[in-house]
Amino acid sequence: MSNSISSRLIALLSLSLALIFGLGLLVDYHLSRDEILARLQTESRETIRSAIIDLENWLDGVEGSTLFLARILEQRDYTHAGLEQMLKDIVENNEDIYGATIALNPDLADSPQGFAPYYYHREGILTYSDLAADDYRYSQQPWFSDAVSAAKPIWVEPYFDRGGGEILMTTFAVPVFRIEKNSQRSLYAVVTADVALDELHNYLRRLRLGESGFATLLSREGIIISGRNPQNHMRHYSEALLDELDINTWQDMFRSVLAGQAVTRRLECPEVSGKCVLRLDALQSTGWPIGVRYSEREITAPLREYQMKTAVTGLVTLMLMSLAVYLITRRLTRPLTALALASDNIAKGNLDTPLPSVRGDDELARLVNSFGAMKRDLKSYIADLETATASRSRLAGELAAAREIQMSLLPLGGEAFEQQPDYQLWARVRPAKSVGGDLYTYLQSDSRLFIAVGDVSDKGVPAALFMAKAISLLQQFIAAGDSPEYAIAKLNNALESGNDNCMFVTLFLGVLDLASGQLEFASAGHTPPSLLRDDNVTILSQQDGPAIGLSPDLRFPSNTYQLQAGDRLAIYTDGIDEAFNERAQMFGVQRFNEELAGTSSMPLDGAGEQLFKRVDDFAGATPQSDDITLLLLQLPLQDHGAKTATHSSQKAQRAFTAGTPLAGRVIEWLEQALHEWEIAMEPQMEMVLIAEEIVTNIEKYGEIPDNSDVLVQLDRIGSSLTMEFNDQGKAYNPLHEGHRSTLGADIESAEIGGLGVHLIVKLSDEQHYLHDGKSNILRIVKSLDANGD
Amino acid sequence: MELNTTITIDESRSVARVSLAGALNTDTAPDFDQELQKVVAQGLDLTVLDMKELDYISSAGLRVIFKAAKQTKAAGHRMAAANRKPHIDKVFEILKALPDMAVFANDQELDDYLDTMQSKVRDD
Repeated sequence: MSNSISSRLIALLSLSLALIFGLGLLVDYHLSRDEILARLQTESRETIRSAIIDLENWLDGVEGSTLFLARILEQRDYTHAGLEQMLKDIVENNEDIYGATIALNPDLADSPQGFAPYYYHREGILTYSDLAADDYRYSQQPWFSDAVSAAKPIWVEPYFDRGGGEILMTTFAVPVFRIEKNSQRSLYAVVTADVALDELHNYLRRLRLGESGFATLLSREGIIISGRNPQNHMRHYSEALLDELDINTWQDMFRSVLAGQAVTRRLECPEVSGKCVLRLDALQSTGWPIGVRYSEREITAPLREYQMKTAVTGLVTLMLMSLAVYLITRRLTRPLTALALASDNIAKGNLDTPLPSVRGDDELARLVNSFGAMKRDLKSYIADLETATASRSRLAGELAAAREIQMSLLPLGGEAFEQQPDYQLWARVRPAKSVGGDLYTYLQSDSRLFIAVGDVSDKGVPAALFMAKAISLLQQFIAAGDSPEYAIAKLNNALESGNDNCMFVTLFLGVLDLASGQLEFASAGHTPPSLLRDDNVTILSQQDGPAIGLSPDLRFPSNTYQLQAGDRLAIYTDGIDEAFNERAQMFGVQRFNEELAGTSSMPLDGAGEQLFKRVDDFAGATPQSDDITLLLLQLPLQDHGAKTATHSSQKAQRAFTAGTPLAGRVIEWLEQALHEWEIAMEPQMEMVLIAEEIVTNIEKYGEIPDNSDVLVQLDRIGSSLTMEFNDQGKAYNPLHEGHRSTLGADIESAEIGGLGVHLIVKLSDEQHYLHDGKSNILRIVKSLDANGD
Repeated sequence: MELNTTITIDESRSVARVSLAGALNTDTAPDFDQELQKVVAQGLDLTVLDMKELDYISSAGLRVIFKAAKQTKAAGHRMAAANRKPHIDKVFEILKALPDMAVFANDQELDDYLDTMQSKVRDD
């Protein structure tokens, strides 16, 4: 799947979407971040400002009430009771004021201690206390003395009001002066209003910004009125700070604030990580410095929350988009995957594999439809191919059978080798195609040997059919014993009738008188034979007629030629002399004759093989263009009697008069002859054994007339030994009619000579039997080369 | 060619050794047949045909040997061929002439065989 389009599509789309969406989120975040940051800063400023304003309002209220009372006292005189009542009303109705007093100038009071009634909210209950008690001595309290000496309303430094309110407080003190008749200003009283520091704490607590943020309120002297740590209350700020560096910073800031200038500093937060903002300002009414410190981190927490939300939203959206992409892609590519699987199956040859079903008319549907069409075409194509192949192989089979049948029309199946006492004959047909139009035939009838070589025009099947007709008729006419020219004329008429295709045959037909060596022949337009005699090759001169099969009632001249002992006659078709090589050169009659001359020392079959090989070598890679036929006829070197020795052949023969011990006499002669020829021990012994077995058979079953001769002839041609027995007995072939025993069977059932037949066959290479009307001729050939049978 | 036959009888071991020298063929087979029949008639346990000197054998000679081998087997005795030359062996092979006979390639094999037989007799 990793290589599939769908997975690549999913990956690429998801990546692209992630990039685009991520970029969008980033831009949005940056824009929003600045906005949020600005809003947060504004918010924190507003928070501080409103808290300060509240505080100011509160203190203004306290100041206002006190100043109002002081103004009244400037104008009018009241009884003590009236003063007390007024004081009580103020404290009772003003929750912001912890306590208040009207302290008369002791000089003006009735008693030496003076007059200073004090009303305050003691634990929520309005309580009265007389500050003119001996031990309090209010005229010496800072709120009294400082206000008097300042001659204007003041806020007293925070203090613990022992003997008075009994709490930590700060006091707004207003001196009340009256204009005497002498226009002198004289102190009448000091009016005060106390503010509980606890109340201030409550206000300042509202100024907390964030988790670790806090507010601090200092007096003008630097005393901490309210701060983060209650232990530091009422101490000078320099005592509450630990760090010297901080002290300097604070002193700078404190001075600036007292001078009326608000200060803002960014510094490291002592409790939490990150930067903190410290803002120091002064209250307008009291001039007290008020400071707010908060952590930027905590203030910007909403921003980080926003960041987190954005990230989570982005991630979830991305996942949803990926899922959507995955689902869509899969839905789109599912038919494609199925199609790939199906086409794999089709490639394996399962043409019936169903294709995925698709709807609509999109690219995929068209692809699947094309595949379907291709599958159908492929199926029908393969079916056609199978039919064609089957019919072709059937045709090949038929042609092979036809070839066998055609070859069976030729003597010995198209490759003949006859070794008779009077002649040797070797012939071979090799068609250019499976079947061909060349033919040869021969037939010995008494002492006449018919030989024929022919060539039907064209080649292949038509030539083969015409050849079959021609050879059948020819063999029929030969068997009738007609002379060659007459037989050809008859064959011409027979082939001409109904020959609408105008096929024709060139034919050599001869008859050899084996006794005299006279060859009588006729030729129907056939290449004249070549004759090898004493190492020289000549072309037989001939008077020939036209090729047969085309027009009726032709006459063919008769030729006669006297052959001699040792002559070798070569009759062939134009497939040999018209064989071409790769350079389009023709083999030619002259080259053939030269090659034929070169075979003079070879046995006949070797010569035939060699001539075929020479033609093949000449043609090289050029395919055989025409059928090739060669027939070689060899006459024995001597007709009778005398012995002619050449370097490669030896001959010995003797006549034995019938009568026992015939075998002994034959063996004795044979051993001597073989010994003289220097034949090796083993073949010599085997030849003797063969001879003994043959003679035993002839003697026992051959019914040889008394006083007749058994002629034994021994030939050695090259490496082949031939032994021939000629007797005058009844026609009897020991090889076939012999009483051959069953090997391994009961020995007593084996007749005399019956075992010997096995030895004759096994120990020799060829056995030929012939009865020529007068005598039995049994010929045995043994090769001296191949001993290992 | 002639055939010379030497017959040695070892009655203690009941063994006849017939040594053939020369050629056993159509001419010499009848005489050899007579001599071999005489040996067979003695009914010895084992008749050994020693062919060390035999140069030639034809089917006529083999018939004689086959016949004798069959007779000895029928009588519950054995006949063996020893020391055959390769070309003699080939003739035997062609005629599948071995079923009724023991074959010894040389004298050593023959002696071993005789010893084995002897010890068997003693054990009995």
